[in-house]
Amino acid sequence: MGMKWYVVRRVAWAVVATYLAVSLTFGLLMVTPNAGADVAAAQAAASGQDYDAVRERYLERRGLDRPVEEQYVDYMTNILTLDWGYSFSQGEPVLAAIGEAWVYSAQYFVPSILISALLGYGIGLYSALNRYTPTDYLGSFVAYFGISIPNFWFAIVLILLFGVVFRLLPTFYDSGVALLSVQNAKQLLLPVVVLSTASVAGQMRYSRAQAIEYARSAFVKTARAKGASEWRVLTRHILRVALVPLSTILIADVLAVLFAGSFIIETIFQIPGLGRLALEAIQQRDTPLVLATTLIPVFIAILGNLLQDLAYVALDPRIDYGDR
Amino acid sequence: MAGDEPAPDGGTARGAGTGFEGIDWTAVDDAGSAGPSAAVTAEVLVLLGLAAALVYDYVVLANEAPTVGVVGWDVTGVEWLLVVVLVVGAFHAALPLARNRRLTAYYWRQFRKNRAAVVSLGFLGVVFLVGLVGPLIWTAPNEAIDYAAAYQPPVFAGGSWEHALGTDAQGRPIWHLIVYGMRVSLEVGLISMVFAISIGTVVGTAAAYFGGYVDEALMRYVDLQQTFPVFILLLLLIYLYGASLLLIIALYGLFSWEGTARLVRSEALQRGEEAYVRAAEATGAGRWWTIRRHLIPNVSSTVITAATLSIPVFILGEASLSFLGFGDPDVFSWGRTISAGRSDLPNAPWISTIPGLFLFLTVLAFNFVGDALRDAIDPR
Repeated sequence: MGMKWYVVRRVAWAVVATYLAVSLTFGLLMVTPNAGADVAAAQAAASGQDYDAVRERYLERRGLDRPVEEQYVDYMTNILTLDWGYSFSQGEPVLAAIGEAWVYSAQYFVPSILISALLGYGIGLYSALNRYTPTDYLGSFVAYFGISIPNFWFAIVLILLFGVVFRLLPTFYDSGVALLSVQNAKQLLLPVVVLSTASVAGQMRYSRAQAIEYARSAFVKTARAKGASEWRVLTRHILRVALVPLSTILIADVLAVLFAGSFIIETIFQIPGLGRLALEAIQQRDTPLVLATTLIPVFIAILGNLLQDLAYVALDPRIDYGDR
Repeated sequence: MAGDEPAPDGGTARGAGTGFEGIDWTAVDDAGSAGPSAAVTAEVLVLLGLAAALVYDYVVLANEAPTVGVVGWDVTGVEWLLVVVLVVGAFHAALPLARNRRLTAYYWRQFRKNRAAVVSLGFLGVVFLVGLVGPLIWTAPNEAIDYAAAYQPPVFAGGSWEHALGTDAQGRPIWHLIVYGMRVSLEVGLISMVFAISIGTVVGTAAAYFGGYVDEALMRYVDLQQTFPVFILLLLLIYLYGASLLLIIALYGLFSWEGTARLVRSEALQRGEEAYVRAAEATGAGRWWTIRRHLIPNVSSTVITAATLSIPVFILGEASLSFLGFGDPDVFSWGRTISAGRSDLPNAPWISTIPGLFLFLTVLAFNFVGDALRDAIDPR
C-alpha cells in the first residue's frame, strides 16, 4: 500500500470519527430528559400553568416530539450546515457567541504553547546532553513540579502572591483593555505562566528521553567523529530525528491543555473565553451552546490528530504504510 | 504400578513415574508463583461474602439503617467498590509480593536507590491509612460546623492547637476537610485505576495476540476514544445526568484506558514473538492460556508503571471537576474545598492553600513512586 492510499484512508477515518462523535451527542440527548423543557415547564408551573401541558408545547414547538429518525436527520443536517441554533443564555446565535469568545482564549493560549514548546524542548535537549549535572537535576525538579501541581491551585497561589500580597499584577482579567497594551500583557502574564508550567513539564520529559536515546546512536557518534560542533550535532542531527515523535506530544499536549486547562484558567482569571462560555452554558442549561462547546473541542481533536498523522508521513520516511 | 492408581488430581497420573513427562507442570508453575488454588479460592470466597453483604445492605437494610451499626457507618456505593478494589489489590499485589520474598527484596533494593521515591511511598502510606480509617475517627465536616469558630488561623499563623490547621468560613476544621478529601482521592485514584488498567491490559493483549480484524476493530475504537476527550465527555454527561462521585469514577475508569491499551499492545507484540510463547503454542497451549500465563505476566512491568502514573491523573481530574463545581455535592473533595476558599483568599488564605498543598504532595508522590518503580522493575 502506498502513501496516497494511507492518506485517503486516514482522511476517511477522520470523517467517520466525526460522524460517530456527532451521533454520540445526539444519542446522549435522546436518552436524557430535555433540560430546557424542564426549565420552561417549571417556570410555567410556578406561575400557575399546567406542568405537563407546557412541557409538551415546548417540545412540539421545537419539533422534539417527532420520530427519532426524523430528528436525527434534522440534527445531522443542522450540524453540517452550521445551523447550530440560538443560545438563550447569551441572547445570540451559538456561532456568534463562539466567534466573540475565541479571541480571549487565543490571547493566553497561543503564547503559552509557544513558550512551553520552546522552553520544554530547549531544557529537555540541554539536560539530555548534560546528564547528572546540577542543571539536569534542576530540570527534572521543574518537570516533576509542573506535572504534579494542580493548575487551579497554582493559579490561586500566584494570585495570592502577586495580586494580593505584593500587588504587582491584577487579580482578574479586564476585557476592556486594548489588545496590544502593557496592561493587557500584565494581566495575561499569570494565565500564561500557569498554563505553560503544566505543558512545559510534559514536553521537557519527553524531549529529554528522546534525545538521550538518539545521543548514543551511531549517526551522532559519526557526526562527532567528523568534527561537527555540539550545536550542529544538537540542531542538525538530534533535533531533526527527535522532532517526529515530539510533534505527537505537542499535539496531544496542546489539546489536553486546551480542553481541561481553559475551563480552569478562564474561571479563575475571569477571562470571557470559550471555557467560560461552556461553563455558563452548562450552569444555565443552555443545550445548543453546551453541544457546540462540546463538539468544537472534539472537532479540533479529530483535525489535530489527522494533521499530526499526515505530518508524520511527510516527516518520517521510515513509516511503513502497510502496517496500519 | 503408579500408572494404574486413580489420579489424585485428575488425569496427571497417566505418565507419573516416567520422569520428565510425569511432572505436573501446573503444580511446578504454581509453586513458583502466587499459587492460585488456595489464594483464588480465598479471594472468591471473600468477594462472595462482600456480594452477600452488599445484597443485605441494599435489600434488607435499605436506607433505614447504617450498614455497620456499631460505628454508624452507612456504606455507600463508592465505598463498596473501594472495598472490592482493596480485596483485589490484597490478593493480586500484596499476596504475590509476600510470597516471592526474594524478588520483592530485589525490587526493594532497586527502589530504595531513589530517596525521594522512598519518602513519597511513606507519605502515600500515611495518606492511604488516614484516608481509609480517618473518617471513622474524625467527624464529618458538616457535623463539625461551628460558626463561633469560623476563620481560625492555623497554629503557625497565630491560631490555637485546638484547630491546628485552622477552620473555614463555617468553622469546619481544615484537618477534617483534608481527611475526608483523602478518602475521596483514594476512591477516585484506586477504583478508576483498577478499572482502566484491567480493561486496557485485556484489550491491549487481546489486540496484540489475535491480530487481524480483532486488532483493527479494537484499535480503531481506541482511536475514537482518544479523540473524544474524557474531560469534555464528563462535562457533557454531568450536564445531562447530574454529578455523582460514582459517575465520575466510572467514566474515568471506562473511558481512559486507551493509553494503557496501546502501551500493552506494543509491548505484547514484542513479547509474542519470543521463544517461550512459541514454545507454549508448540506444546498445544490454547490462546487464552497463552495470553493469561505468558503474555500478561510479561507485560506486567509496563502495566504496573502505567497504573501508578495513572492514579495522579485521575485524582487531579476529579479535583479539577470539583473545583469547577461539577463534583459530587455530597463529598468533600479537595477541589471543592479549594474552590470554596477562593472568596476568602485575602483574609483567610489557609482555606485554599493547605488542602491544595496536600493535593500537590499526593500527586507529586505518585509521580515519584511511579518513575522509581519503572526504574526498579523495568530493566530497559
